[in-house]
Amino acid sequence: MMKKITVISLVSVSLVSVSLMLALLYARVGQAATRIGPKVRFAPLHIYLDSGNQPLAAYQFELKAAAGKPAPAKAGVKIVGVEGGQHKAFKEAPYYDPAALANDRIIIAAFNTGSELPKGRTRIATIHLQIIGDAEPDYELKLVVAADADAKEIPAKITFEKGE
Amino acid sequence: MTEKKGHFDEDLDLRISPKLSADLNTLFKPQFSVPSELDRAIMDQANRRLVQRHWRHRVFRHISIWRIAAAAAVIIFAFSLNLTQKPGPTTTSSFIVEAQAVDIDRNGRVDILDAFKLARYVESADLTDKNLSPVSSTGQALRKQGWDINGDGLVNRNDVDSVALAAVRLDKNKGVL
Repeated sequence: MMKKITVISLVSVSLVSVSLMLALLYARVGQAATRIGPKVRFAPLHIYLDSGNQPLAAYQFELKAAAGKPAPAKAGVKIVGVEGGQHKAFKEAPYYDPAALANDRIIIAAFNTGSELPKGRTRIATIHLQIIGDAEPDYELKLVVAADADAKEIPAKITFEKGE
Repeated sequence: MTEKKGHFDEDLDLRISPKLSADLNTLFKPQFSVPSELDRAIMDQANRRLVQRHWRHRVFRHISIWRIAAAAAVIIFAFSLNLTQKPGPTTTSSFIVEAQAVDIDRNGRVDILDAFKLARYVESADLTDKNLSPVSSTGQALRKQGWDINGDGLVNRNDVDSVALAAVRLDKNKGVL
């Protein structure tokens, strides 16, 4: 009788142990699969402003980046850095909120009180992005204001180019 | 195989004969007699201990129940406060005052042009009067306009930076997108 109980207990304990081990193994495999996850890459986004014949003395724009579709669960875009522009009037890093880093939205602005100002199409800033996932992100770019040397608002066209 | 089976046989007769029982009683019977007073004293002491333990257990149980009830009350109270809920964006008077302060051109919008205009004012001011000190006429004029944004008594590049940073701040700019 006792031996019967002992055998049954041993079998039960063994079964429970095996089940636990299998559950742990499954969890580990799941974690590993998650860790492989979506692809992460870094890419610059060049922002251009065309002020036509007017000299560009100040600008402000807003950028919002979103994961492209179809977006996997963990896909996303993060702003990781901001660089100045091409012309020496805007070579310095522009004004932006540091809270925008590791975020997907940023407001960027700069001005120059000097007399040597760019005209026509010029690169005003480069934004470095961390892109999670394979899909190409969607960008929304909006010019808030552009002004000439007298601080008068001027019409201008803002565009972006994806860098490698 | 049959021997093994025998160990698990549940129909074994476990009864013992009356003779064996009598023999065992005789063999293990105490050789001396315990006085009834001693027996009673031992029983009394055992009873007292049992009663003491029972009361101690009851008191402890009462305290435990009160502790659990108090802990539950604290948890319920904490949840009712909803500590996880962050306060929403507040349009406090200080924010309005700050927004008014950095809206240099008073057009109702804080943008880079406010900083640009202030920078132009600062640069076009009397260059011999560095930092537009509070005692200078230009400095006083600019301060009268409320352009000493950081309140250090000077109107200079630091104030320009303050205005520019206010223009690009994410929380206050709800965004145009």
